[in-house]
Amino acid sequence: MQQVLLFVLLGLGSGALIAGIALAVVLTYRGSGIINLATGAIAMLSGYAYWSLKTGEYGGVHFATAPALLLTLVITLVIGVLIEFVAFRPLRTASPLAKLVSSLGVLLVAQASMLLAFGTDQKPQPTILPQGTVKVFGNTVPEDRFILAGIVIGIAIVLAVLYRWTRFGLATRAASENELNAQIAGLSANRLSLGNTLLASVVAGGVGVLAASVTQLDTVSLPLQVVPALAAALLARLTSFGIACAAGLGIGILNSLIDYFSTKSWFPTDQGVPLPGTKELIAFLIIVLAMFLRGAALPGRGELVEQRLPEVPRPHNLMTPAVAFSLVCAVALVVLPFDFRQALVNTLIGTVMALSLVVITGFVGQISVVQLSLAGASGFVVSHMAVDAGIGFPLAPICGSIMAITLGLLTAVSALRVRGVSLAVVTLGATVAIVNFGFINSTWGGGNTGSPVPEPHLFGLDLGPRSAFRGLDGSLPSPVFGWVALAVTVLLCLFVAAIRRGNLGERMLAVRSNERAAAAAAVNVRNVKLLAFGISSFIAGVAGSLYAYNFGSVSADRFDAVTALALIAFAYAGGITLVSGAVFAGLISTEGLIPHALDKWFGINGNWFLLFGGVILLFTLIQHPEGIAGAFYKRLHRSRRPGGRGERGSLFTAKTPAPAAER
Amino acid sequence: MTAVLEAQGVSVHFGGVRALAGVDLDVQESELIGLIGPNGAGKTTFVDAISGFVRCGGRVALDGFDLAGLSPHERALRGLSRTWQSTELFDDLTVRENLAVASRRPSLWQVAKEMLGDSAATSGEIEQALELLDLGWAQDVMPGDLSQGQRKLVGVARAIVTQPRLLCLDEPAAGLDTGESEELGRRLRALANKGQSMLLIDHDMGLVLSVCDRIFVLEFGKLIASGKPQEVRGDQRVVSAYLGGAAAEVSGP
Repeated sequence: MQQVLLFVLLGLGSGALIAGIALAVVLTYRGSGIINLATGAIAMLSGYAYWSLKTGEYGGVHFATAPALLLTLVITLVIGVLIEFVAFRPLRTASPLAKLVSSLGVLLVAQASMLLAFGTDQKPQPTILPQGTVKVFGNTVPEDRFILAGIVIGIAIVLAVLYRWTRFGLATRAASENELNAQIAGLSANRLSLGNTLLASVVAGGVGVLAASVTQLDTVSLPLQVVPALAAALLARLTSFGIACAAGLGIGILNSLIDYFSTKSWFPTDQGVPLPGTKELIAFLIIVLAMFLRGAALPGRGELVEQRLPEVPRPHNLMTPAVAFSLVCAVALVVLPFDFRQALVNTLIGTVMALSLVVITGFVGQISVVQLSLAGASGFVVSHMAVDAGIGFPLAPICGSIMAITLGLLTAVSALRVRGVSLAVVTLGATVAIVNFGFINSTWGGGNTGSPVPEPHLFGLDLGPRSAFRGLDGSLPSPVFGWVALAVTVLLCLFVAAIRRGNLGERMLAVRSNERAAAAAAVNVRNVKLLAFGISSFIAGVAGSLYAYNFGSVSADRFDAVTALALIAFAYAGGITLVSGAVFAGLISTEGLIPHALDKWFGINGNWFLLFGGVILLFTLIQHPEGIAGAFYKRLHRSRRPGGRGERGSLFTAKTPAPAAER
Repeated sequence: MTAVLEAQGVSVHFGGVRALAGVDLDVQESELIGLIGPNGAGKTTFVDAISGFVRCGGRVALDGFDLAGLSPHERALRGLSRTWQSTELFDDLTVRENLAVASRRPSLWQVAKEMLGDSAATSGEIEQALELLDLGWAQDVMPGDLSQGQRKLVGVARAIVTQPRLLCLDEPAAGLDTGESEELGRRLRALANKGQSMLLIDHDMGLVLSVCDRIFVLEFGKLIASGKPQEVRGDQRVVSAYLGGAAAEVSGP
């Protein structure tokens, strides 16, 4: 019992970090309607700023604690201003998905730049808080846990008071209730947003600096603390500072207790080590619970402009581009040098992965982060069926897809109650849980090393990347596997385009546009969503099988949460509503043709590419909120579109308006 | 002969507020029925109730079939079609596609067929509905590029295209000018003469009085009058509901 109490108290440290980030998430949402996935990354940035000032890593000056803290505050404020002006303000009137993706862009840029500057190893954050200990019921507990928790609770109280009793708080509450009316009442939404973003940065940054000395400072764990923090913020309905703070501390304590229990003999183990991923699973379950307990709808915002996803034009001719694309790729797979051949195969697989998002997000408007995990699950099924049961192609990929569909439909069941950005949060939690609980597990996942995948054979023919035919330069990978991937990609592209052209696609878009009106037009909204999730999961499952065969192994790190988020970012930048957008996304996806060319010709690789990608993403969002393919499409078709806004005159005189170009 | 729509004792509560209190209303075969009343009388709530968007007490039957427990899309499939005061078009679909969503019956077989072959098959109902409302020119336009009045017409076309048993129109003439409103009335009348049963809600008294076969009048969630237009027009309570008690006294006998 005494031990349990000790771990409860120790959990206050990480709990304070989660609570602090949760408070910042709530602040940003109330201020600007953005669910800022980069909140943890802001904590990380401030943590690194303080560390480098204190240790003299840059400039060689060792600052004392007080000036270092002050300078860190200044840096944090500058970061807040930058984020507000680069990522948030230009997208004030964009769709919630665009806003989410822009916060993703911030996350990618922050993470990549810190990796470039400081490397992957953890930094020992110099302590700020007193290092004494106190005795509580016979336990020796470090003082700093109490101080940290006290600080966060203090911040929550101050924020609650600020929102309750100051004019700034009143104005923010009014603007988040109804932006239009707030503007009419003379409140500047931009200034309120800036104020709240700065507050959020200071809170997240402050907690980052203080808590990093208790937990750790690196480029992965701090940014991903946003997931449990989102769980806490959702429990607070992104509104209440008190609940967010309490829930954050609670999650920290729960995690600490799991640490304790995992030392017990009764705790389930996996090959001798305590079962991995239980904390992440619990964070996910809390998110799901929060959604069901507190109702699906987050407090809505009366926004100034109706926010919609990019439009989804109906594809006209499919065969010409499909045949041209197939021919070019089929030849390229033979003649290209081996490294570009591999990059082309990666591009094709990335395209399939993005297609899965086109169906679920582009057509039905459901933001699902979990698709990459579904691909991973399919890949692990392929691997384990071959290794454990000796079952190979084509039965294993079929089972893999069934696995993906099953998991996808489980997600969909939650999507029936949850939509929009809330669904993104639920599926992000699911992703982290699946990766840590499923993929890292060495029995049913790949452990830390990964799980091998043998070559696919059909009728004695080797269809895999190590097939005998080696292309012009005679190196690995074999073009044969590329052709398989190409055939699958083209078929799935045609499939998705056909969905858009058919009645099913119309129904999906009807659901995306207006669920109420869709029901009145005899559309079974639930079935359409389930079907869309099923189709999209199937496509993800196929992509996962291709991944597995392509690399000859599956491992958890290819499917982690940051990669899943980057996938959405790239798919959005490519054009999430279009098949051609999926192809663009494939071109810029990890290890695809464009990153490979940049690496080979300009030496831009790894973290530089992520940094570059993040910046390009933000730029693309601001310039073309509908993505690259969408911008191309608009340029091509603008002159052909009949009709125009404000056609007036008598309604009942049949007329053929002049084409826009002539008017 | 059973009525197309038979609503008995329809009641709706929002929290402590009673929005509808035991409303009885029936629509017979190929009748054009008007439902009028001052703002807040519960007209839209009545349509929401019978089309399944709000929970209600009482009995609602379509062609004698009790609709209790059916979801909105199931009611739509049974032939109860409606439009919205706020239009509620599918902004991501062209006008023609807006109609197509409603016109085709979903089946896995249909989906599979479209995947394989030509999916852009035109259907006669869409052409008819477009023609009826003179929207042929706009079929490839996005709803966002239309005027409010035109959007209203698309909403009506989308409701007609399913060839419903009962068509409920919630303020289709709002946003139209007088001439347009009259023209819409003529077309609705023609539709009713062809055998379409309709329930028309509108603020435009001229429109409702001139085209409807019978009229029901709501005030504060209660039915205060019903009957032929000329009967309703002279009804004391209707006049006072619309113009206030003082006006009724002035115009009284």
